[in-house]
Amino acid sequence: MIKIELETGGSVWKVLTKPGVRVEAGDTLFILEVMKMEVPYEAPASGEVVAVHITEGDVVEEDQLAVEIAE
Amino acid sequence: MNWKTETDEIARRRQLALEQGGEDAIAKQHGKGRLTIRERIDKLLDPGSFEEVGPAAGAANLDENGELISFDPANFVLGFGKVEGRRIVVAGEDFTMRGGSPSPAGLRKSVYAEELTVQYKLPLVRLHEGSGGSVGGTGGKGASLPGPVNAPARFRSVAEAMATVPVATAALGAVAGLPAGRLVASHFSVMSKATAQILTAGPAVVERAMGEKKTKDELGGWKVHTKNGTVDNGAADEAECLIEIRRFLSFMPANIDQLAPVIDCGDPVERADETLLDIVPRDRRKAFDMRRIIQSVFDQTSFFEMGAGYGRSQITGLARLNGQSVGVWANNCKFLAGSMTADGAHKARRFMELCETFSLPIISLVDEPGFMIGSRAEREATIRHGTSAVLTAAMTTVPWASVMIRRSFGVAQAAHYGPEGYVLAWPSAESGPLPIEGGVAVAFQREIAAAPDPEARRRELEEELVARQSPFPRAEALGVHDLIDPRQTRVELCRWVDRIQPLLPALLGPARFSIRP
Repeated sequence: MIKIELETGGSVWKVLTKPGVRVEAGDTLFILEVMKMEVPYEAPASGEVVAVHITEGDVVEEDQLAVEIAE
Repeated sequence: MNWKTETDEIARRRQLALEQGGEDAIAKQHGKGRLTIRERIDKLLDPGSFEEVGPAAGAANLDENGELISFDPANFVLGFGKVEGRRIVVAGEDFTMRGGSPSPAGLRKSVYAEELTVQYKLPLVRLHEGSGGSVGGTGGKGASLPGPVNAPARFRSVAEAMATVPVATAALGAVAGLPAGRLVASHFSVMSKATAQILTAGPAVVERAMGEKKTKDELGGWKVHTKNGTVDNGAADEAECLIEIRRFLSFMPANIDQLAPVIDCGDPVERADETLLDIVPRDRRKAFDMRRIIQSVFDQTSFFEMGAGYGRSQITGLARLNGQSVGVWANNCKFLAGSMTADGAHKARRFMELCETFSLPIISLVDEPGFMIGSRAEREATIRHGTSAVLTAAMTTVPWASVMIRRSFGVAQAAHYGPEGYVLAWPSAESGPLPIEGGVAVAFQREIAAAPDPEARRRELEEELVARQSPFPRAEALGVHDLIDPRQTRVELCRWVDRIQPLLPALLGPARFSIRP
């Protein structure tokens, strides 16, 4: 299981995936807005998204678990 | 009558010293996936180059006839050796004896390491695995007197070493107490992710004093210490740590009285990278990869990043331009927009001090939106740490070249330019007292609120101001030395490096301020 945790706080601008979706390494999963910049998070490896713990508009914290992918 | 008896005994003691803590202790060390200090030293140095200092130091156990029964070597190994043909001083605790907690002779050798390095003006490498003093004492016979009031200050030589020669350290096993303090008293430190922990105090002491039950890794493993700046880098294992240390030393002069070696780089000065033309997105909300710019501009594969896990909005490291060692400092807009955080400022300050101490020119790639803001930033005293970085830059005497890549805002941007620095700007450069987005909302608050469509008016104002931030007027006013095509960055910086060569010898000797941990 790959757990994608947030490197910084910010707000969730776009969520581009959902549970059950098959993703390839490098696909953008979601985009945070941090200090007026878009910060895309990409899938580190291919697999199936099993959980998405964030929704658009959320104010999020560093180290928060965002997405889980089963390889 | 000759001295054969004595020379035989010298040889015997030499042999016994090499046995360290004995076969069982060495097997135990290997069983935990760790090397002994002598193996580490051999791996670090050029083959056969180790010249030991004090190999006869230790405790001899004699029988009633004065015959040697056994010999316990000092549990700290010290000596000279060569890395890529250049001499250094190397030292480290022997964990196979007393768990690296110093024996009397071991302690003497360990505090001698820094004195030796300052005396001979050679870089120092310390390979740490050990703990500090024990309440049981150093195991010497009889009660020892405390040191006299006029004894030399214990840590003076540690500080002097840092002001005189490059000091690189590695944590290769558990490093606690005094060795942990000496680990961080360095210009570059690396820890082995597989085998090392760094502990001010170990789990037993912590549980007794704090009631906190934690493993060594939870307290002081790499996940903790590569993120908080205790060490600069984490490496997979012991061997990788030693490679990183060799790499660090390759950029450094032997001491503050010498210039860093210039090596033939084989990378053409005129190499122009086409991808730099569109690496910075025109959409100002979109981030770009500053590390890719660094890889492209500096001599190929020369960039050696230090502190990647800590103060991540800033990127610091060593690299070469046409073979000349330089310090590289850049913003990472992918992390907190590249803003100056408290830890990023601390990292940058220490980095500038490193460059100043060893007369390394600084190349700054600027994309600074300003000090980090918000309640967390206030709690972390960002303004104090940030201003410390700004004033450090203002006090440096080494040559600077700054390239304005994108943003350069607020007080924080001043940290990215040295006195009389050479300044180039990319067409994407923007600068001012405050980034447009934040600034417009505040400065035109009333006008925006009064507009029929406030959101549209805000956007309109932002666009007007963005247009005014074009770097052309700045170049016309000689506010930068030149406005350049991003693809020409490498050649422009290489030419600058060539121009500053006559300035470098005058920088040698003690710096006005030197680096502290």
